[in-house]
Amino acid sequence: MKTEFHFRDEDLRLTTLLVDDLDLDSIDAVDLAVRVEEKTGLSLTEADLKSIRTIQDIVDLIDERL
Amino acid sequence: MKTLSRWARIAGTGISFAAFGIGGLVLALVCFPLLRIGARSAREREQRAQYLVHLAFRLHVRLMEWMGVCTVSVRGAERLREPGGQLIVANHPTLIDVVLIGSLMPQLDCLVKTEAWRNPFMRGVVNAAGYVPNDLGEAVVEACAARLREGRSLLLFPEGTRSMKGGELGVFHRGAAHVALRSGHPIRPLVIDCHPRFLTRGQHWYDVPDRPMGFSIEVGDPIDPRKLTREDESRGVASRKLTAALRDFYQARLYPAAGRGAGDAFQGRDLQMGHRPDEDGIPFPR
Repeated sequence: MKTEFHFRDEDLRLTTLLVDDLDLDSIDAVDLAVRVEEKTGLSLTEADLKSIRTIQDIVDLIDERL
Repeated sequence: MKTLSRWARIAGTGISFAAFGIGGLVLALVCFPLLRIGARSAREREQRAQYLVHLAFRLHVRLMEWMGVCTVSVRGAERLREPGGQLIVANHPTLIDVVLIGSLMPQLDCLVKTEAWRNPFMRGVVNAAGYVPNDLGEAVVEACAARLREGRSLLLFPEGTRSMKGGELGVFHRGAAHVALRSGHPIRPLVIDCHPRFLTRGQHWYDVPDRPMGFSIEVGDPIDPRKLTREDESRGVASRKLTAALRDFYQARLYPAAGRGAGDAFQGRDLQMGHRPDEDGIPFPR
């Protein structure tokens, strides 16, 4: 998240809302998904992306799949 | 006398709205079917329709000026006619901004909200002119960039909707920056100022001000995305920088006194951004 969007550490907490707090848009969501896929080897569906609200959701999703 | 002229302008405003709706229907039902005759491709049909929209908008602006609804002065209009596709970006104070800009450009693609395809007065026009619907998700960026690559000019409002009643700029979305980055086209900013404010968001059409709306439109210098971003940056970072710079530009133009700092920031970025490490954080377009 830091390299892709240059967010600061203090802005990134597990409860941080991706859209409301970090102002991610639909293009960012795609970029983020590609990054996650590269890092984890998972493949994410559109439904997966829609279910993500917070950073914790991303962690849970990866945790669940690996 | 003053009240009389105000009543005349309320009537004029009403007539303008009616003319817009009726004009849309006439174009759709009579003119566009005729234009299709002899057109060899979808592209040619769309170009013809857009040219007709341009003529209709010119007529509409003349009508509004004649009725005392508004006055319009434009600086640098000839720059809009430079050949090749231009990525036009504008702030969005009023309901008729698109009419004013369209009246200046013989060919102009627009990004239009999907509801227009369901509006009986607008459906025919948006269909014939081949405007880009805004419900394509992130594919909208590529659809817009494709128009520019074809040499077509395209209008985007980064605010996505009209500014608030007081005229302060809304949130700038990053779509326009993404289109510029993807297509490599510079951004041509139009600064629209309107005093007294009218036809803004949340205002009734009959709350006509005590004098005609005075529009001044300035056609700005192109903003080159390559000067403000680095090649090795992710598009997430680059689009944020470019959008912040664009918003600073508008803030400084529209509110020179209040926005002095913002304007300086933009100038500074213009010169240095290519080299400056930016761990100082990117101001978000909020």
